[in-house]
Amino acid sequence: MIAELVIGGLASGSLYALIGIAIVLVLQATDVPNFAQGEMAMFATFVAFSLLTTYKLSWWIVLPATLAFAALQGVVVQQVVIRPLLGAPIINAVIATLGLNMALHSVAGMIWGNQTNVFASPVGELPVFKLFGVNVSPDSALTIVISVAMVILFTLVLRHTRAGIALRAASQNQQVAKLMGISVNRSFALAWAMGSMAGVVAGLLVAPILFLDVNMMGALLIKGFAGAVLGGLSSLGGVFVGGLLLGVVENLMGAYVSGSFGEALSFLLIIVVLIVAPAGIFGRVKSQKF
Amino acid sequence: MATRSHPHSAAARASPLRTQLLVAALAAGVAATALFGGGYFVYVLNLTGIFGLVAIGLTLLIGFSGQISLGHAGFFSIGAYASALLAQRLGLPFWLAIPLAGVLATVIGALIALPALRLKNLYLAIATLGFGIVTQKMIFEWRALTGGGAGLQVPPPTLFGLSLADGARMTWVIAAALAAGTWGAVRLARGRTGRALAMLRDSEAAAGCLGIHVARYKVVAFAVSAFYTAVAGGLYANLVRYINPESFNVGMSIMFLAMIVIGGMGSIGGALLGAAFYVIVPETLRGFKDAPGLIFGLALMLVVIALPGGLASLFRRRARAAA
Repeated sequence: MIAELVIGGLASGSLYALIGIAIVLVLQATDVPNFAQGEMAMFATFVAFSLLTTYKLSWWIVLPATLAFAALQGVVVQQVVIRPLLGAPIINAVIATLGLNMALHSVAGMIWGNQTNVFASPVGELPVFKLFGVNVSPDSALTIVISVAMVILFTLVLRHTRAGIALRAASQNQQVAKLMGISVNRSFALAWAMGSMAGVVAGLLVAPILFLDVNMMGALLIKGFAGAVLGGLSSLGGVFVGGLLLGVVENLMGAYVSGSFGEALSFLLIIVVLIVAPAGIFGRVKSQKF
Repeated sequence: MATRSHPHSAAARASPLRTQLLVAALAAGVAATALFGGGYFVYVLNLTGIFGLVAIGLTLLIGFSGQISLGHAGFFSIGAYASALLAQRLGLPFWLAIPLAGVLATVIGALIALPALRLKNLYLAIATLGFGIVTQKMIFEWRALTGGGAGLQVPPPTLFGLSLADGARMTWVIAAALAAGTWGAVRLARGRTGRALAMLRDSEAAAGCLGIHVARYKVVAFAVSAFYTAVAGGLYANLVRYINPESFNVGMSIMFLAMIVIGGMGSIGGALLGAAFYVIVPETLRGFKDAPGLIFGLALMLVVIALPGGLASLFRRRARAAA
């Protein structure tokens, strides 16, 4: 029983973690907490849905097409909405992304309507299997495996590719990065593209488990932020663990403490954690110049 | 902060006579509407006044002290429910129930501010977001007291045996509360507290060096802001007389923030303009489900990118050109 709850928690937690990672990729590079991440992912997931159902394309075409769309979406948002705000106080960018969130939500409602759609899972036909005596659904397994793979992939990109190293340099010191011949603007665009891609992967994973409609990412975005804050925002690994922790705690509290208070309890927990450790569990406080 | 405009520059620039004339004209307009105006217009005016109070409270917090809140729907719902329950269960008159609800929210606001002292920016945003969610959930689940998801009927407010549910009588109450709230906010902003808060917003370290008690002023800002928002919530409950936790969600907290950004952060006029925008846009676009969200979203992006002073700065620019 408890093992199943933990597995379920890990599955939903890895979704939170993916959204959290999408947010932190952008946050670390550009200092902007992207509150539009949820609806950007929702929008791209709907694009995948249209490709799958209206145009009847196979997953092998839809997946790369959707990832490309997500990357493009990230770059467009960065260039059009965020770039003009470079140098302005961060709260302006926060407000702009909140606005983008609302606008995308409405536009998606206009294009795809407000009804709930069924999004077929790519592993829907596989049976539930047993792992060490615990029932695991293929959807949960896929979610966990893919999110771990994404964390490793992004960490490798950031550590070992030219573009990734340039991105880290640009996020540490824009002036010096420019002097080293790095295009800061292109690096930030890359961060947004990566964030957007991580987001749509979360969207594609959650749509078959829950449902597909314009509201699907609202709660997930908040959980993603909460998990990221819990983990401390400073490393992808920490954020990943924070997301998983939130998912597991939420599932266990929902089962053992109170079904209806599960969500509220996890937020209480986050508030308590923030009081004790204001920069999250694995976070390092960035020194601030005044 | 978002605007970096000086909080009371507009008021300071306008001559006292002009300000007085403007206030008199506004008061006359409200009075005329309350006496002769028809139902729908009065309804929109009432809501604008109520959300104007919220906007002023939030501006005091975000525009002056530089702390962000994504949980103000929580204070609004506490005000609405506390005032409704005080009236319903204890039979208190509304003019006692609403301030008491405000006091309750002030205490809660101060308690929230204590952990918030250690948090900044995104962490504070998430903590306040959590507060809003927890509050909404508690109202949903505490069915014995709040009626849960079925909502709560609020007894019609009366004054000297006169039912305020009739016609435009609530408008007087709301106008009086708004006037008192505006007066209080202006006093606060121009006085010692306002200057301390503005200093705090620009640099906490500098404020601390000048002997400003950073922690105390942060708590004060949170508490005052909670009071304004809860009083507005109480007025709202007494105006619509049916409240449901459904509407007091995260979206509402974000809309509150949108309201003061679009109106113009850090000025009372901007707060009122933002409240008017918040009420009128969805009302005029009633038929189109997704249109208000699109307009709010685009307006938010446009304001921060192209018009950092919000709607209020449009008027200010015109006034400067005329002068």
